[in-house]
Amino acid sequence: MKEEGDILSINHLEIGYPVKGNSNYILYRDINLCGKSGELIALVGKNGIGKSTLLRNISGLQSSLNGTINYFDKQKQDYTRADFARMISFVSTEIVNVTNLNVFDLVSLGRFPHTNWLGKLTIEDINKSAQALEMVGMSSFARKNLNEISDGERQRVMIARTLAQDTKLIILDEPTAFLDLPNKYEIIHLLNKLSKEEDKTIIFSTHDLNIAIQEADKIWLMLDDKVEEGAPEDLILDETFNKIFEKSNLRFDKIKGDFKMQKMHQCKIGLIGEGPHYTWTKKALERLNFKVEKGNDSIQYIKIDKENNFGKWTLLDDENKHEFNSIYDLSIYLKIQTGLPRGRQKN
Amino acid sequence: MFSKKQNFIIWSTLVLILIILFLFDIILGSVRLPFTDVVKLLFTGNTERPEYTTIIYRFRIPKALTALFAGFALSVSGLQMQTVFRNPLAGPYVLGISAGASLGVALLVMGLSTFTVVSQIGVLGNWTIVLAAWLGSGLILFLILIVSIRVKDIMTILILGIMFGSATAAIVNILQYFSNESMLKAFIVWTMGSLGGVSLNQLKVLIPSVVIGLIMTFLLIKALNAMLVGENYAKSMGLNVRLSRFLIFFSTSLLAGSITAFCGPIGFIGIAVPHIARIVFKTANHKILLPGTMLLGGIVLLLSDIISQLPGHERTLPINSITALIGIPVVIWIIIKNKKITSV
Repeated sequence: MKEEGDILSINHLEIGYPVKGNSNYILYRDINLCGKSGELIALVGKNGIGKSTLLRNISGLQSSLNGTINYFDKQKQDYTRADFARMISFVSTEIVNVTNLNVFDLVSLGRFPHTNWLGKLTIEDINKSAQALEMVGMSSFARKNLNEISDGERQRVMIARTLAQDTKLIILDEPTAFLDLPNKYEIIHLLNKLSKEEDKTIIFSTHDLNIAIQEADKIWLMLDDKVEEGAPEDLILDETFNKIFEKSNLRFDKIKGDFKMQKMHQCKIGLIGEGPHYTWTKKALERLNFKVEKGNDSIQYIKIDKENNFGKWTLLDDENKHEFNSIYDLSIYLKIQTGLPRGRQKN
Repeated sequence: MFSKKQNFIIWSTLVLILIILFLFDIILGSVRLPFTDVVKLLFTGNTERPEYTTIIYRFRIPKALTALFAGFALSVSGLQMQTVFRNPLAGPYVLGISAGASLGVALLVMGLSTFTVVSQIGVLGNWTIVLAAWLGSGLILFLILIVSIRVKDIMTILILGIMFGSATAAIVNILQYFSNESMLKAFIVWTMGSLGGVSLNQLKVLIPSVVIGLIMTFLLIKALNAMLVGENYAKSMGLNVRLSRFLIFFSTSLLAGSITAFCGPIGFIGIAVPHIARIVFKTANHKILLPGTMLLGGIVLLLSDIISQLPGHERTLPINSITALIGIPVVIWIIIKNKKITSV
């Protein structure tokens, strides 16, 4: 519901697609969400649940079936086209690649709703475009062609275009989809920085929950029948995250802040050691379906010793003793010992 | 992107080439006119040889003007289609707009064969031909427009354009089968394309149509630039996409339809020239690309016309063959260079 300071408030929104004939294809019936100034909001949910549809509804590219979206105190139809475009901008998943279009030209296209009928760039427009490129750290790329830059750089340029458009609200549909891990972090971190320093409300959809939890002020979580919102920490503590993948074995680990496949542990194994060697050995053993018991030497167990920072793994049971120099060697031995496939093992 | 000085050099060179080719196009023909006489006549209005006046004013200037404006119109409409469909192989011809125009003209010439021979139709007749060609090309554009709203994949639209073109050709074939000999000949000569058949009177219809189409396109520069990044982005930046698309299609129909009505279907100029302009100007900005494409279109078609009547030929070669021979290598080059044919 509408509160003080809300830039965006979505009330009883019904989204979906009109179908010829009688009933519409409805994705959600009653969405209620809001966004405040300077907030970075991550939209999270599984594939095909309707993230893009919701973002397209908010950015005015698609009409909602029912309900209202308030931008400041007005709805889309209360704005002129240009005013609306001066208030909200959009980055889609589509990769834009135009021959002979350079980075600066693309960014200055963002000035579209600010320029005259001929699209003539004034000094202010040029300055704003240059500033936008600077904010995303791409100033030195201004004269490069779009097909000469990497995916991460292109995404920065697309963000710069929305900055040149000079809107209070920025919507991005999966801005990290094609990027490698460092670029994913950098882009989302950049969005966080922009939301704070430029006081913009930025909404992006993502599958990278880890990054979203670290950087977003708020998460919009799309579940099967409703959309929940809250600070990432709140959603972790009240176990709302678990509802995303209710039908699979994936569970959210409250302590680690990460998803984990739930497995049926088949065999017990003891593990003695400490530090990162202990942590990673445990991970490897869990991957091999062992239930790890710390410090238990009454069953088959592994002892980790460290010699000059190199680990040494010793597998001990009643009669035998095997030594390994890497987790990989250890895991190969264990696989042979227990026999594959592991599904047939018993306790 | 070039410096201002480089830009100035490129533009003035192109304008100079255009003027020289325009003069050459007037000088060359079945009767070879002395260069000095032509220049003297053009700039002073006097000449010792009165028959030159007739040749130049009744035949050569109309033909050169037709070549110039046909070059402008076809290349500009090709550029618009390439931008709207975001496809480097789009053009009025490929999308079947010219085929639509030919259907309109075929229906008029052969279907309504109660009229007299095409060449004897006066100013009112000009309008009916232009109208028939417009309606034909408008029909095809309208079909493409409906499809382009429903189908997202641009290659599908392109293929459908070719299919529409073939369907029109089939109907034209049926018309040809049932029409009488003189009508058939009139139509076949029309399909070969000719810049020389347009009289001064007809130019009074052709030039204003092209000028209106060009003015519309120049007013659409901002919209065309926004459409470079796709319709979603264009919409999110505040462009009225439907209206802009309609206006772009309307001006394309006016430009390509008018030229096709008077000169017959002239192929490949619309596809090839925008790419030549992209190579010359190295930009995607329509503020430069549009006038650049226009100039180059005039140059290429004047050049084609000059080639089609190289001295020594009693008869001129069909202009369509010349433009195809110039345009096809450019199109092949585009396909080889752009292995992914996805964007302009």
